[in-house]
Amino acid sequence: MTIGTPTDQPSRLAFGGLIDRRLPLRFRFDDLELTGYAGDTLASALIANDVKLVGRSFKYHRPRGILTAGSEEPNALVELRAGPRREPNTRATTIELYDGLAADSQNRWPSLRHDLLAVNQLAAPFLGAGFYYKTFMWPAAFWEKVYEPAIRRAAGLGRAATAADPDPYEKAFAFCDVLVIGGGPAGLAAALAAGRAGARVILCDEDFLAGGRLNAERRGVGDKPAYAWAAEAVAELAAMPDVTLMPRTTVYGVYDGGTYAAIERVGDHLPVPAPHTPRQRNWKIVAKRTVLAAGAIERPIVFGGNDRPGVMLAGAVRTYLNRFAAAPGRRAVVFANNDEAAATTADLAAAGVVVAAVVDTRRDVPAATREAAKAAGALLVAEGRIVEAKGGRRGVRSALIRNRDGRDMHLACDLIAVSGGWSPTIQLTSHLGAKPMWDEARAAQLPGALPPGMAVAGAAAGDFGLGSCLAEGHAAGADAAEALGHDRSSGAAPVADDEPAGLAPYWHVKDSAGKAFVDFQNDVSVSDVALAVRDGFRIAEHLKRYTTLGMATDQGKTGNTAGMAVLAEATARPVAEVGMTTFRPPYVPVAIGAFAGHHRGKAFRPTRLAPSHAWAAERGAVFVETGNWLRAQWYPEAGETDWLESVTREVKGTRERVGVCDVSTLGKIDVQGPDAGTFLDRVYANTFSTLPVGKARYGLMLREDGFVLDDGTTARLGEEHYFMTTTTANAVKVMQHLEYCHQVIWPDLDVQMVSVTEQWAQYAIAGPKARAVVAALLDPSQDVSNEAFPYLAAGPVTVCGGVAGRLYRLSFSGELAYEIGVPARYGDALIRAIMTAGAPHGIVPYGTEALGVMRIEKGHPAGNELNGQTTAHDLGFGKLLSKKKDFIGRFMAARPALTDPGRTTLVGVKPVEPGARLRGGAHFVPRDATVSSENDQGYLTSVAFSPELGHWIGLGFLANGPERYGEVIRAADPLRSADVMVEVCAPCFIDPEGARLRV
Amino acid sequence: MSETLTARPALAGIALPGRHGTGNGAPGVTLRERTDLGVVAVMARKGQGEALRMAVASAYRATLPDTARYLAGQTVGFVGTGPGQWLAVSASLGGGALAVDLTAKLAGLASVSDQGDGRAVIRIAGPRARDVLAKGLPIDLHPSVFAPGSAATSIISLMGVTLWQVDETPAYDLVVFRSLAVSFWSWLTDSAAEYGYEVVPATN
Amino acid sequence: MRIRCPYCGERGLEEFTYRGDATVTRPETLDQTAEAAWVDYVYLRDNPAGPHREHWYHGAGCHAWLVVTRDVRTHEILGVELAGGPA
Ligand SMILES: [Zn+2]
Repeated sequence: MTIGTPTDQPSRLAFGGLIDRRLPLRFRFDDLELTGYAGDTLASALIANDVKLVGRSFKYHRPRGILTAGSEEPNALVELRAGPRREPNTRATTIELYDGLAADSQNRWPSLRHDLLAVNQLAAPFLGAGFYYKTFMWPAAFWEKVYEPAIRRAAGLGRAATAADPDPYEKAFAFCDVLVIGGGPAGLAAALAAGRAGARVILCDEDFLAGGRLNAERRGVGDKPAYAWAAEAVAELAAMPDVTLMPRTTVYGVYDGGTYAAIERVGDHLPVPAPHTPRQRNWKIVAKRTVLAAGAIERPIVFGGNDRPGVMLAGAVRTYLNRFAAAPGRRAVVFANNDEAAATTADLAAAGVVVAAVVDTRRDVPAATREAAKAAGALLVAEGRIVEAKGGRRGVRSALIRNRDGRDMHLACDLIAVSGGWSPTIQLTSHLGAKPMWDEARAAQLPGALPPGMAVAGAAAGDFGLGSCLAEGHAAGADAAEALGHDRSSGAAPVADDEPAGLAPYWHVKDSAGKAFVDFQNDVSVSDVALAVRDGFRIAEHLKRYTTLGMATDQGKTGNTAGMAVLAEATARPVAEVGMTTFRPPYVPVAIGAFAGHHRGKAFRPTRLAPSHAWAAERGAVFVETGNWLRAQWYPEAGETDWLESVTREVKGTRERVGVCDVSTLGKIDVQGPDAGTFLDRVYANTFSTLPVGKARYGLMLREDGFVLDDGTTARLGEEHYFMTTTTANAVKVMQHLEYCHQVIWPDLDVQMVSVTEQWAQYAIAGPKARAVVAALLDPSQDVSNEAFPYLAAGPVTVCGGVAGRLYRLSFSGELAYEIGVPARYGDALIRAIMTAGAPHGIVPYGTEALGVMRIEKGHPAGNELNGQTTAHDLGFGKLLSKKKDFIGRFMAARPALTDPGRTTLVGVKPVEPGARLRGGAHFVPRDATVSSENDQGYLTSVAFSPELGHWIGLGFLANGPERYGEVIRAADPLRSADVMVEVCAPCFIDPEGARLRV
Repeated sequence: MSETLTARPALAGIALPGRHGTGNGAPGVTLRERTDLGVVAVMARKGQGEALRMAVASAYRATLPDTARYLAGQTVGFVGTGPGQWLAVSASLGGGALAVDLTAKLAGLASVSDQGDGRAVIRIAGPRARDVLAKGLPIDLHPSVFAPGSAATSIISLMGVTLWQVDETPAYDLVVFRSLAVSFWSWLTDSAAEYGYEVVPATN
Repeated sequence: MRIRCPYCGERGLEEFTYRGDATVTRPETLDQTAEAAWVDYVYLRDNPAGPHREHWYHGAGCHAWLVVTRDVRTHEILGVELAGGPA
């Protein structure tokens, strides 16, 4: 007996294992303070401490233990860490132990051992497949208020943290010749062969210790123990400059073009990530070739009580014994349909675990198994089965075994090591849509058509023997390197024997006593599958949705194959005919934070800062995001309590004296070349080739379908040089459109264009005193009088002592106004200079709100009106459409329906009651009509309080609009219970003749 | 009014010189804003590619690259940014002078548009520069495929970037839009912190 | 998906913007009899199960519009050329 030597870990073997006994680690599980070793997982440390009950199941709250030793674990889900770092549904089998680790069981109340919610078990007959569909049909309202909360309290998988995750996550990109997925025998051999040949290799392994089953089996490679060979292979790979080893990294998705997604757990094995490092890094890996060496996942045989703690997959038993030196039991029964029985029996016996019986479902039990049983002193039950695992919440206490003659025997045991064979880990081969193929000989799904560039080696290809894994891996790595032009290396393939498989398919014990589970995590039993079949769900995809088989966080990695086999049996068909559910990314659960990476909080998306930003921030401006830009919305002053108060002051200050606004965010495009004018004529609805140098003109741009795309002013700075502006929101879209028009439609035009949005800081200076302020900024001898620089003039100037700038006489506010541009590096200095120059005139900075108020007062359409559904006619710009030339959208804009006077067209509205407030989004209906869709005649797009008029005003689209000036209609907003009588008027409320512009 | 306007670097008050991030020994990378560079878009007129090539060769003793490469000339280097498009870069002709010079020398052969104020240029240098850039740049920088003189226009953390490798340190020049410089700096320093970084004062 | 831009080399999908069918040609006439041709150009699209010529924009790279021949069943890319032809 080697268990229970002087240690506080009663089931830790006295020697062996790939753990570091010099590094004990303390940890807590629920109320248990325990110790493990470096190299342990939480699962192996719990096993070493004799903790068998780890969680309660999702639906029935049945006691559950540890089934596997890998990421396929369906049962041993815990909440790891606490507070904002609490992570639910973490698999104890993949959690690397660290000092101070704290984990809690989930799905239990008040405690794991006394879970009152386990009464669900008593209701089990009612909670079967399709329960939700059948029970909670009516009334619908009950779902939200009664059923759902009750179900959620009782079921669910752990609790998410309620505070924001404090740890950073990252994204990263990597490129390689050969990506090797999996660090077991096939993967290591592949990486060695490719690396030795000189290829750039990335090896991703889910585990923190590469080697896969080499670390879990008492096998040899060449003349070395398998684990030692693995360590040497890793050392050799680590020394190669173009090989990147990525431990703790799971490749979870395959995408087109050799693109793979992988999640690297950078800091999950630490209490908190090291300073300046992320918790996890989400990789996008582009590989020319890929070797999938992801191994295989053992599957259980389904029998009564097979979910009790103490029922464990045989391969996992060997992993715990050999790699972690932890004994999952003291007295075991081995139950298998294949030759895993022999190795498992031998390893248990070697570790000092009593093997009470070897129950082998095969008629002819091979010699190796018979000899192993004999050597272990175990009773061999050939062609036998376990009918029921009996026990309590602490786990298995005995096995009810039935022999081929139907005679039962009860054997005391605390461990049942079960093997139903292995299923290749082929999920990644299907992510591009290929269907796996059922292989009758191996009783397993094998890869179907492979993603381009991918080869599959070893157990993932269904070749489970160690010798085959090494040889296939080596060949696949060498082939991949050779295909990329590297010489095959002279290094020899590692050699080992193939162990026999001897599988005789046996899926479930038909005469089981008690509940027999197919999917542990979603509590789907054999009887649920049978019920689904009775209810008419006979193929895999339907079964999945009816029973939730395979839909839990483990995606049915251990249970799916048995589930399909049980379905096949129940419908008396071969497994191949019931089909398989579809595999999609991600292969393992991936935290949302890892997908966000750097992009969270203020970095959710990049922010563009205008040239005046620092100055505006110093002034306490309130900013608003428009597109990616952060723009000053208004500039509150001391004593102002309400945004409307600030905005009204800014509008008044501008209209009465002078105001300044940063308009740098407008898109700006340099259009140059001999054909620049011709090109603009074709992309604008109106004409630009005739625009004189030194002048600007409003331009309207349509889409080819005749609707309005964008508008702006464009100035002609030289014979072959135009300076176009676009709206802030559409700058990128317009650039793309112009490049399409040039490159695709009119490649013969000699025109060049480039965005200069960022190059120019541009400020609008507007108001009766604008000229005085501009004159003060310009270097002497530059005449800005109305005669020398009239409305719509444009040209170069020098500003504040020689800075080469540009001046435009443009007005969005309707006042005398200029836009002054300087290279962006001077933008900060210029806004300060404008404020200084404007101080004697009472200048006021204004933000986007005041800008909006003034443009509504002037009836200028903006984003709310250029909404992709409006035509030039709708906006009152019908006369801008040139009849003399082709231009984008011309033909389609002339369609009768787009110029129908009955269309909704731009109008102004003002409330009949002067104090009434208007709300954007309200719909227009005739004065005496009821508010209904039938009576809908248009809608209100933009509203503002006009300081000059002293009441609210609005712009909107109204059927037959221009004919209805003076008519009173209703602006109804049922969502906000608003219903205002408004008078229809022309959209321009202030200075309709434009006299102020031209002074 | 004739008070002179003072230029403000894109990262003024943001890129604070000093040692940051992990450790306090040799930093994984150094970061520096390159200010007062001339950066100008040069776009070939139709059918003038060959004449433009010769004009550039004689005026600047520089070769216009046909692909995404950076080729240094005597005072002006050219980096290919697209078919018939380049960014001319000069440390000696800053502040608009380069655009003026190019406009005069390439008249009729190319359209020229100053970008010197529209872009911020950051140099990243040091043994971990590739690792830092890999956290956002979807381009392979392995020395076998991206060497001194190699250039690319791509996207980092949702922000457009043009970059070229300067030397084998390795050092790279990163050109980003000025309005995005602060967001870009946030990504860059977050990404560099793991390896330790040093910000050195801005120069050209 | 990865697209090999003739100018920039092979790049990931995140750098490109899809537009659509590259086989349509803008009618040259504004004559009212051309209405069917315009409707065809603006609205009507074939949806072949197999290789298709599509316009993609390399907006995060060289700003070139590309004609990408792609098998829409497999995402296999059979060819990429500059829409505007060689510069
Ligand atoms: Zn490109």
